[in-house]
Amino acid sequence: MALQLTINGISIGAIYALIAVGFAVVFNIMRFSNFAHGGMISACAFISFFFQRAFDPPPPFFVTVLFSAVCGMGIALLIDTLGYRRIRLKNSPKIYYFLMSLTFAILIEQILTVFFGTDIYGFPSVFKSQTFEIGSMIFKTMNIVILAVSVVILVALVWMINKTKIGLAIRAVAINADTSRLMGINSSVIVTVIFIIAGVLAGVSGVFLGVQYGVFPSVGPSMMLKGFIASIIGGLGSLSGAIFAALALGLIEMFLTFFIGATEATVILFGIMLAFLFIRPQGIMGIIVEDKA
Amino acid sequence: MKKLLLVLLVLIVVLPLAACQGEPAEVAEEVEEVAEEVGEEAEEVAEEVAEEVEEVVEEEVEDLEPIVIGSIQDLSGPASIPGQANAWGAEYAVQVINENGGINGRMLEIITLDCKNDLNEGINAYRKLVDEHEVTAIIGPPLSNPASGWVELSEEDQVPIVGHFMDEVCTTDPDTGEAYPYMFLAEPSCSSQSFAIAKFAMEELGLTKFATLYNTGNAFAVAHAKPFMEYVVDNGGEVVGEETFTWADTDYSAQALKIVQAAPEAVFLSDYVNQAALAYDFLRDAGYEGVILGANTLALPFPDLVKNEVYDLYYLQNYDMLNPEAGGYELFTTHMEDVGTDYPKSNAGFGWDAVQVLVAAMRKAEDPTNGPELRDLLEQTDGVELAERTITIDPATHRPSNMGMYIADYDENMQIRILTYIEP
Repeated sequence: MALQLTINGISIGAIYALIAVGFAVVFNIMRFSNFAHGGMISACAFISFFFQRAFDPPPPFFVTVLFSAVCGMGIALLIDTLGYRRIRLKNSPKIYYFLMSLTFAILIEQILTVFFGTDIYGFPSVFKSQTFEIGSMIFKTMNIVILAVSVVILVALVWMINKTKIGLAIRAVAINADTSRLMGINSSVIVTVIFIIAGVLAGVSGVFLGVQYGVFPSVGPSMMLKGFIASIIGGLGSLSGAIFAALALGLIEMFLTFFIGATEATVILFGIMLAFLFIRPQGIMGIIVEDKA
Repeated sequence: MKKLLLVLLVLIVVLPLAACQGEPAEVAEEVEEVAEEVGEEAEEVAEEVAEEVEEVVEEEVEDLEPIVIGSIQDLSGPASIPGQANAWGAEYAVQVINENGGINGRMLEIITLDCKNDLNEGINAYRKLVDEHEVTAIIGPPLSNPASGWVELSEEDQVPIVGHFMDEVCTTDPDTGEAYPYMFLAEPSCSSQSFAIAKFAMEELGLTKFATLYNTGNAFAVAHAKPFMEYVVDNGGEVVGEETFTWADTDYSAQALKIVQAAPEAVFLSDYVNQAALAYDFLRDAGYEGVILGANTLALPFPDLVKNEVYDLYYLQNYDMLNPEAGGYELFTTHMEDVGTDYPKSNAGFGWDAVQVLVAAMRKAEDPTNGPELRDLLEQTDGVELAERTITIDPATHRPSNMGMYIADYDENMQIRILTYIEP
């Protein structure tokens, strides 16, 4: 049973990780919590659902994932252009980014509600068999796919940040945007890249959440909470910290729910987040962020 | 004598005009014209009579103004899909009643407001209907959250509310057990429905070991799950697992694994369709192959929402909606055609039924706009025809005493198949 719980915990943790990294990657550069990420996930869940339904037979699943990722990228750039860019150009306080992100989060959810209602849309089954067994353990096919894709994406992202020139530029801007600019780094391009990455992650998360839990306007925001907790525990802005914390969160949640119940588990998870904010506000791997919103 | 004859002559002409219930001014004008024809001497008399007639006709017209009732439904928010069907059912019932002559000659007017499944929104809607529109009575929503806020208000304002708020706390005081004076339920309560599915599982399927999986934040789910477990225990069964989740949870795999470990013969799911579909999938994914029982929310489109094969699933139903021989068939098909939905919705019947209960009381009332009189008559509701079957309300609880529930499953085409009817 413990092994089964561990596998389930890592699987749900992988979804949290995708969300937490999308959250952390923006915080890393922009120094604000991008709550619009949840709305982007919901929008991508709907887009992928209707894309999948538009074809008979439906396209291969990876095509839907790619399409959703591209759409997520577009939505993220649109939000940046319509909202954040203006704040950036005016050099406004960080609180405006925070307010703008909240506004977009609510706006997207409400637009989806107006057009599609609050009803749940069942994503067509992707696999013929929902589960497979190895020994006495049952594996959910989609969980394994999510885990595999998440690992690939997150490894690729960490490699890009740490081993490529653009990654170096991102890290430089994250440390000090003004100094980076003096050293010839175009910070506007870096911000665009960051939103592209966040959009792709939202697109992929949207498909996976839609397949796992159904498609409805609040599917993204409802999962954002866990992603946010993971990014706090991991250290705001730290990608590796967010991944580690998200996986740990999935595992802790799974075991706590199994042994003491779902209601108590939620209380304890928030307690852990509070404890980190008191004892180690920089999180597991983060640095203390002074100017944040 | 001549004067008396003239008066009689004028009255002969005037009375049929008054009976036609025309506009008072028109009637008076015609009276005067007739009087002129009779002669100058009658003019004075005619004017007096015309004034009298005008007053009488005005009173008649006032009496025949429509009776205004309110309807508070979840037109938006998380319960908008059933809420909109409820609103449609109530409005359609009013339309049909008016087409058939209204209530003893008076038309009904219905004003529908949105409560968004929210207590405060429900109170705002209530105040608007009572204070601004001065409604006589209100048709309530299918959910208990907003309705629970009207218990005291309806008593203060003496406005009867008939609805489908199934949680018992909306109709009776949980401490004293006494009925709230102005709150009336038009379908079996949560407990009654839970007892029905538990009775079916124990007596028809012969099961004894049960588990539940429900959302502790959903009053509807809790109000079903608790009585279900009580019935099982009281009747010699065993509850081997009570697993819960919250609105914030989307993954129930830990709970599902725990239930599999407890090895129940049946699991009862009592949430709204979204959560019930997730719970069903998590249970099947965890390897649970036993019977799954469900509330009436597991009707269509449930099979479209789950990814696993639907089997050994039994759930509650209020109506035999797809049966052309059942009383409500025409109502449900009209709803489907009218709003363009692919599957029937019980809530269309709920809205219809609540109006029928209220109108039956109004028809018996001396003054159908008198709240206390309506309340007394609603308490005496006996054998009132609904979309299907009849309703008799227990004056002690203000809930139906004679309504049972259907048990259904899904056939090979994933259509609702009624299996049996469980008496109350």
